[in-house]
Amino acid sequence: MRKKELRLVVTFHTTADAMAMEKACKEYQVPGRIIPVPRAISAGCGLSWCASLEDREQITDMMRKAGIEEEAMHECMV
Amino acid sequence: MNLSDSKKKLALAGVICGLVAACLAFLGNPANMAFCIACFIRDTAGALGMHQAEVVQYARPEIIGLVLGAFIISVVTKEYRSTGGSSPMVRFVLGMIIVIGSLVFLGCPLRMIIRMSAGDLNAWVALIGFILGVGTGVFALRKGFSLGRAHAVNKVGGTMLPVMMAGILIMALVPSLLKASEAGPGSMHAPIAASLAGGLIFGAVAQKSRMCFAGSIRDVILMKNFDLFSVIAGLFVVMLVFNVATNRFVLGFDTPGIIAHSDHLWNILGMYTVGFAATLAGGCPLRQLILAGQGSSDSAVTVMGMFVGAALSHTLGLAASGTAVNAETQEIVAGAVPPHGKAACIICIIVCFVIAFTSKRDEVK
Repeated sequence: MRKKELRLVVTFHTTADAMAMEKACKEYQVPGRIIPVPRAISAGCGLSWCASLEDREQITDMMRKAGIEEEAMHECMV
Repeated sequence: MNLSDSKKKLALAGVICGLVAACLAFLGNPANMAFCIACFIRDTAGALGMHQAEVVQYARPEIIGLVLGAFIISVVTKEYRSTGGSSPMVRFVLGMIIVIGSLVFLGCPLRMIIRMSAGDLNAWVALIGFILGVGTGVFALRKGFSLGRAHAVNKVGGTMLPVMMAGILIMALVPSLLKASEAGPGSMHAPIAASLAGGLIFGAVAQKSRMCFAGSIRDVILMKNFDLFSVIAGLFVVMLVFNVATNRFVLGFDTPGIIAHSDHLWNILGMYTVGFAATLAGGCPLRQLILAGQGSSDSAVTVMGMFVGAALSHTLGLAASGTAVNAETQEIVAGAVPPHGKAACIICIIVCFVIAFTSKRDEVK
């Protein structure tokens, strides 16, 4: 089983925003993957973007360029 | 206890819910139905006089318990959030569609799993439709489908459905106030206290584990993530063991007395409709009740749509009939979907496509 580690988790207002994020990250070659929002963060069942903590700045820049608004950015064991 | 930090614990959540369903079936709920959201909403709508089908009228405490269980646990664990404003009327229509599709198949996704665990091959056929329906919804999500974001609203807003459910419970305790079937599925039920306790436990566990039948398939298709699927697997295994142990496991298609039909195309299309609409609405019928309990007015509106859809299904003759034995001739009479039900199912699928490909995400300017 993969060991859990502290990672950056970006949550969104809608599932569509998470889908747009996945598409944009592919386009801009930004690292990370889409995952269900960790239960520790929310009782909802949406999607979130998971990446390494050091990619935070790159992700924030890319989201600004692509016009994607986050709900929140968390540091969470995933 | 955290029920969601590993697949084993999530499967345990499914096992607990499976035990609740098995106990309720043992205590008197209809065979092979045990715990069905669409059927129980339909029965409750009948108890309130929203339809006049005399055999399916009973205020099911399970539905009340689910909402109240999710409400109580979310308040206690500080997860209650009063939200709303994400395309409420579209969600109302999706709620209607979910139940119309369910009653064409004769069961919600939860009952589909319960029927599968009892050897009903019709439910396995319907699973194909459900997966295809969720897959179509996922395709729409990938194409930018969105009903818009929900916003925080007045705290009281999120309590409306739990309060209404508590109101139905009080009315159910007043003799002769609500309608109650004297024959048929509506007359078969566990004692009120057991049903309510079962609903409360199921609701609390479902809130903690985020149990969702549409969501589990969605996550597998979208991300190859099996977290939610493990909850369903746990529930299936418990119900399978229960059915085999109590001689309720009957492998076959035309099995009379289990409230199911073998109209394969319509089993598939009924559950296709449910899977598609549930993915667009962000959750299966069970999940809508749980989200409504934890404060989502959007889900509460979807639940209202489900009540109206259930009432319409019986008022307009859209619901399928189950295979049964003619009491006089002892011949098996095949269950079927009436023509109006088939037409409604097709219309529902078309409406889902229109909603799915016209409701798009707003770009941030």
